[in-house]
Amino acid sequence: MVSRKEIEHVAKLMRIEIDDPTIYEGVDKMIGYFDILDSAGVESEEISAREIELSNLREDKHIPFGEKLIEKLNHYKGTYVRAPKMV
Amino acid sequence: MNLKISALQFTREVKTGNISVEDFIGKTMEHIEKVDGNLHAFLSLNDNAVNQARDIDKKIKSGDKIGQCFGMPISIKDNICIKDTKTTCASKMLENYIAPYDATVITKLKQQDAIFVGKVNLDEFAMGLSTEFSAYGPSRNPWNTDYVPGGSSGGSAVSVSAFECVASLGSDTGGSVRNPASFCSTVGYKPTYGLISRYGLISYANSIEQIGPLTRTVEDAAFMLNLIAGLDSNDNTTINNNNADYLKDIDSGIEGKKIGIIKEMIGEGINPTVLSATKNAISKLEQLGAICEEVSLDMVKYSVAAYYAITTTEAGSNLARYDNLRYGYDFSVEGYAFNAYIEKARKKLGPEVTRRMILGGFVPSSGYAGKYFLKALKVKSKLTRQIDEAFKKFDLLISPTVPILPFKIGEKINDPASLFLIDINTVTANLTGKPAISIPYAISNGLPIGIQLIANSMNDKLLLQAARALEKTVKLPEVPI
Repeated sequence: MVSRKEIEHVAKLMRIEIDDPTIYEGVDKMIGYFDILDSAGVESEEISAREIELSNLREDKHIPFGEKLIEKLNHYKGTYVRAPKMV
Repeated sequence: MNLKISALQFTREVKTGNISVEDFIGKTMEHIEKVDGNLHAFLSLNDNAVNQARDIDKKIKSGDKIGQCFGMPISIKDNICIKDTKTTCASKMLENYIAPYDATVITKLKQQDAIFVGKVNLDEFAMGLSTEFSAYGPSRNPWNTDYVPGGSSGGSAVSVSAFECVASLGSDTGGSVRNPASFCSTVGYKPTYGLISRYGLISYANSIEQIGPLTRTVEDAAFMLNLIAGLDSNDNTTINNNNADYLKDIDSGIEGKKIGIIKEMIGEGINPTVLSATKNAISKLEQLGAICEEVSLDMVKYSVAAYYAITTTEAGSNLARYDNLRYGYDFSVEGYAFNAYIEKARKKLGPEVTRRMILGGFVPSSGYAGKYFLKALKVKSKLTRQIDEAFKKFDLLISPTVPILPFKIGEKINDPASLFLIDINTVTANLTGKPAISIPYAISNGLPIGIQLIANSMNDKLLLQAARALEKTVKLPEVPI
């Protein structure tokens, strides 16, 4: 059982404000449902991961975009992104 | 002008000069204007489609080299980037986002002279299975507009089913191509993980999601796969398919093939009508010479919980970029501290996305990662071992695509946990990376039922051959629009 306080704490860390109680209820129900994993009997199971050889990665080199990407933003000055002013 | 033709029929008709691309696209756009107010498949339309069609007609007339699509009208799920067009993910957060580049699948289709008639609806950021979680309102099932079309690629399925295009691209994270295909009576294909590049697909859960086609026929799905599959240096999870031709030998049949009936997907909770249709499909396959036997994959019982634990964790990370600094919209910031500003910005995300982001923070968090996330990864590994073992004995596996019939709009929206369980038959293919297809099989009281076939990794060709064999046994009524 997970307390509402714990869910609110995680939401705060993720910068999400819960002002709708149905959000909390939905999260709580799903976490409750995840408890089914306790009976899966997979404690001794190895986790398999998909591996990609370094040699299969594309070369790490600069590819010019061809357009001024910054001009696609609503707010910019010169070559800088203009972020909102905050106190 | 008959808009009710398949993609391959369209290319044949254009090649032989029976129809002009301009006429077909023009009529398609008129048809969309006429029916989409009610169906709401589209979020935006390509105002330049008829001009593009005219250019393709000119190329044909002048004998220029022409791509394999011959101006075919295709709709694109609105989480796939098309350069200089809106890509909203059906979210208010990306309401004004204009993609600065093409997804690889789009580049490939443009090279083949496809025409994108518009971007289609989805559950916000592809999180949902009814399209009711779109920030722009739900799409409606053309078979009965009181009912959901499935999701998250609901707009794709509606647009194909209602003849608003001849094919569509969706994305499938836990059944998001196959579920709406089943609910709207279209073919829906989820390829082997890595067969189609995800470059330009806005990420939700990138370790398991794939782009896939929704089409009128299995042949069309194979045709689309021929055009968009293959290695891509921009997505290092793609695999080399050696330019396989999925259309070639598609009528090979399934005589002598062994098909496993997944016991856990036809048991508790299945609608009796869906069960009856599934049994009927199995007997049809047996009549075609397949050998069908039951097989048990006991990890299926835990697959939905594992799927949501993994996907929400990836979503929590992937959606962290939506903070209104890099992507977002304008609102007054006076008086806000940094965190409060981002909290306020994220209120634009809908309830399902918010729920999943919080879950995605909680599941891998300190003290809970072992209980939820690591266990989910272990279930995924064990399920993969079980399905690999099953494929030592069977060529294919079968189940209903969705264990229930389409439901009414609003019927389940307030119970996310019960909605999640509808994914029980589709998430296995995603967790294990296997290819799977939904084939339209029956109509019960005016509502479609789809049958799912699953094959081993890279056996996409065999899967399409089997699906084609099953499809040929079926004659369904026309959609009542």
